[in-house]
Amino acid sequence: MLNKFINKIAPRSPWLYRLNAGSCNGCDVELATVALIPRYDVERLGCKYCGSPRHADIVLISGPLTSRVRDKVLRVYDEIPHPKVTLACGACPISGGVYRDSYTVNSPIDQYIPIDVVVPGCPPRPHAIIEGVALALEIWRKRLEEGTCSRS
Amino acid sequence: MTSFFEATFAMFIFPGGLFALAAGLMLKGVDRKAVARLQRRVGPPLYQPALDVLKLTIKETLIPHTANEVAFKLAPVLGLSGVLLTAAVMPIGGVWNGVTGMKDLLVLLYLLPVPAMALMIAGSASSSPYGALGFSREMVVMFAYEMPLIASFLAVAVRVGGTGSGMFALDNIINYQMQHGPMIFDPIMLPAFVAMLLFIPGTMGSGLFDIPEAEPEVIEGPLLEYSGPLLAMFQLMSAVKLVVVVELVVALFMPNGLGGNVLVNLVWHLFKCLALMLVAVTVFRASTGRLRLEQGFAFFVKYTSPLALVSLGLAYMLR
Repeated sequence: MLNKFINKIAPRSPWLYRLNAGSCNGCDVELATVALIPRYDVERLGCKYCGSPRHADIVLISGPLTSRVRDKVLRVYDEIPHPKVTLACGACPISGGVYRDSYTVNSPIDQYIPIDVVVPGCPPRPHAIIEGVALALEIWRKRLEEGTCSRS
Repeated sequence: MTSFFEATFAMFIFPGGLFALAAGLMLKGVDRKAVARLQRRVGPPLYQPALDVLKLTIKETLIPHTANEVAFKLAPVLGLSGVLLTAAVMPIGGVWNGVTGMKDLLVLLYLLPVPAMALMIAGSASSSPYGALGFSREMVVMFAYEMPLIASFLAVAVRVGGTGSGMFALDNIINYQMQHGPMIFDPIMLPAFVAMLLFIPGTMGSGLFDIPEAEPEVIEGPLLEYSGPLLAMFQLMSAVKLVVVVELVVALFMPNGLGGNVLVNLVWHLFKCLALMLVAVTVFRASTGRLRLEQGFAFFVKYTSPLALVSLGLAYMLR
């Protein structure tokens, strides 16, 4: 009963964590814009950027996953407690973007990390990112209801 | 026997316990909303901190394998129970006089550093370099803000002028202000009041004094390795701590009620707490950046402590 109640309201308090997998900083600037500029205030969804991966619920991954940071990114991803939802931000995690076919790049990122929401664009618009976060919340809610959120 | 029931009631229901938790979460929510409005954002709903705490209870708890597990799990319990006890001791002018035999400023002086201690234990038990940095910063800041706190306590006690062991009795202080008007209108006590206003953001780690938990530098310092229910307990601890320090300033400087009615007095007390928090935490947080560690230390030693000491000296000479 109480569990059901918490499952229902948990998606109203998502804490975001930015995970930079070798991005060119374009997407990170747009992600900062989403939170910092009043017009695109993401805190009205209850979101908050947190510094530590242990506090995170929604992981925003930007960048094509260069081979230099691959192991570190996987390690940080493992340190994020379940239940978590991942959102890939920008063209790079999907296809490699302008770095496609480079020998230093391991994209697409979902060979290594399960991706739930994809927000394409180079860089994506803040509106698109906010919609992505809202979609991620829907996915999180669905998983909590089905009980498929535990550690696999 | 009555004092046992009184103490239990105080600990779990009215000034501590449920009341303090509800008031703390509400104050936190108002704080977040007000900062958002000051920055022209819409901001989260007022009950957002409660949602955060509830959500954290279903998250997974991860404990680093290099951490000291006992201390790691004990720290949030210690901190939360410490602040709840402090809230139970705190008297509310015109509503609640405190538990018999527990109303003393010196008890508060021992209980107030407990949450900072809990954060220190948390930071050092987590075995993370950032946690250790947060631990050392928390300790330095605590040493800095204890001095104005003690000096303000002494100034108020000397001004009230009890004798013997009654000197530090909280009910003496409140009765004195009921008769002679609140301390905040006493020109001698104004410097001490300003010092206490600066002590609130110092102990809450907001605004200029967001040193131990600085997100961009030491990624939340002592709380770095915490997740799930343990982090929720730290959130509750911080909420109750906010209520406790604000109620402390209200009790020391403006405990007067509006009349005989208990309910009116309670609402008036909450209103005073809210106003004090908006000035000392919210506006301060929204309008200032962060000092470096040694700057924060120097700020308390150079400016805040002398203010409180001036009040103490004047009160001592004029008594």
